[in-house]
Amino acid sequence: MTNPWVVYLLVPMVKIVVILGAITLAAAYLSYFERRLVGFLQIRLGPNRVGWQGVLQPIADALKLFSKEDIIPTRAEKLVYLSGPVLIIVPALVVFSVIPFGPPTNLFGLLPQAIPPYLTDINVSVLFVLGVSSFGIYGIILGGWASNNKFSLMGGLRSAAQLISYEVPMGFAIVAVLLMAGSLSLVSIVEAQRQAHVWYVFPGFVAFFIYFICGVAETNRNPFDLPEAEAELVAGFHTEYSGMKFAFYFLAEYANMVVVSSMATVLFFGGWLRPFPSWGWLGFLDVVPPVVWFLAKVAAFLYCYIWFRGTFPRVRFDQLMALGWKVFLPVSLANLMVIGTLIVLFGGGR
Amino acid sequence: MSVRKLLTEVFHLDLLGGLWQTARFTMTRKATVPYPEKRLDPTPRFRGMFGFSEERCIVCRACERACPIRIIYIDGHLEEVEVDGKKRKKQVLDRYDIDVKRCMFCGLCQEACPTTPKAIWLTTKTYELATYERDLSLYFRKDRLQSWEGVVAYPGVVAPADGQTPDDPGGTGGKERG
Repeated sequence: MTNPWVVYLLVPMVKIVVILGAITLAAAYLSYFERRLVGFLQIRLGPNRVGWQGVLQPIADALKLFSKEDIIPTRAEKLVYLSGPVLIIVPALVVFSVIPFGPPTNLFGLLPQAIPPYLTDINVSVLFVLGVSSFGIYGIILGGWASNNKFSLMGGLRSAAQLISYEVPMGFAIVAVLLMAGSLSLVSIVEAQRQAHVWYVFPGFVAFFIYFICGVAETNRNPFDLPEAEAELVAGFHTEYSGMKFAFYFLAEYANMVVVSSMATVLFFGGWLRPFPSWGWLGFLDVVPPVVWFLAKVAAFLYCYIWFRGTFPRVRFDQLMALGWKVFLPVSLANLMVIGTLIVLFGGGR
Repeated sequence: MSVRKLLTEVFHLDLLGGLWQTARFTMTRKATVPYPEKRLDPTPRFRGMFGFSEERCIVCRACERACPIRIIYIDGHLEEVEVDGKKRKKQVLDRYDIDVKRCMFCGLCQEACPTTPKAIWLTTKTYELATYERDLSLYFRKDRLQSWEGVVAYPGVVAPADGQTPDDPGGTGGKERG
């Protein structure tokens, strides 16, 4: 494994293909689980016709979207209109290059040496994730504007306003974690939680709460789905998109949900670490591979996403703004100060 | 800011009640009936597809007159029959058609029917009336009359078992007309 072609080309390529395929499939199946679960929450059954209990539903949906007519509105701004789906799907997938799915593994001895299951670990992963995932907003705004449709435009504007309101408290919530971990690298943050013998959700519950709520708001999900509020805006920014272009928006939304869930897992729930990593008597939990722990935590967050959607009504736009600026921003700042003071006093960080 | 206000305005703990409610409903039995696999049994008074007995019909055309949208078509002719050595004229049914497509299942024909038990009734509990061809539901044709005696059933109507008494509402339980 010293051949540079293998190390620098083949291995990353294989990883990219695996991660992209897995994420795309996960996003597709997330839509199935969402429909099933929302059905269960509403005492319905949800889709259960295609295949056993409807497990082939996402594939049927994908085939349907493939075969749909591709409509471009006559008065749309063509280039921008076409680049909208690209602008949203690319950041949503690129973010996964730095999400650490697990520690270096040799796949139960299949590989001659241990390789990390994530694509790369850069020392500014957190900033990378925040920056790139915020870039996806361009797909929404430009798509909404270029559709030449009032509903799309309103949806895009709302999405932008929402992003600005919620990016700030979310950033402060993450800074609290950075103070505790002393690093911007996601892998180092997980390792720091191992060394601190505690998941950061326990010292930083307020930060976690704010992060997750802001994450729900940023991914435009219920109860903060104002950019695509069906009751007011038809379908918001993707009203005019059909066929595979719509599928891209759809996929990006679900991929972003996975991103926020993964980040919550890494920052607050110890990434691939088992529960209470320092308690020796829980050692039997180590038989479960770390990747499975990671995926289980992500799945739990995704469940919460769908649970919220099935439970809460949509908030009004002024409520959304008030919550972001008047509640979460001061609370996250205060939380930051408290955590910083505690670290200075007790030397929790590095 | 009191603790309660902090909990509701910042952490929105009051929303946990809603989450608990939906979580409970996730576990409950679903209201959906997966139709083709599982069918609901209609209530006894459910008005579904017609049952019609040619034997009981006296060709009085009361149902034809009672029908508010005139979709019952009856043709008959007089035949000479010998009863107890006397020659008598009797109506014989040629045609008894109902345009099922347009029927609204009001049941007025059943109410108008003077025979006991009724010659036409709607409580067959049959609701699967869809057909693949328009013709099949165009008329309630004579060769498809639902009756208890050797008549081919309308598509979807389950033929009754041998010796099963008709489900006659207000009927006298199979007592023939004296």
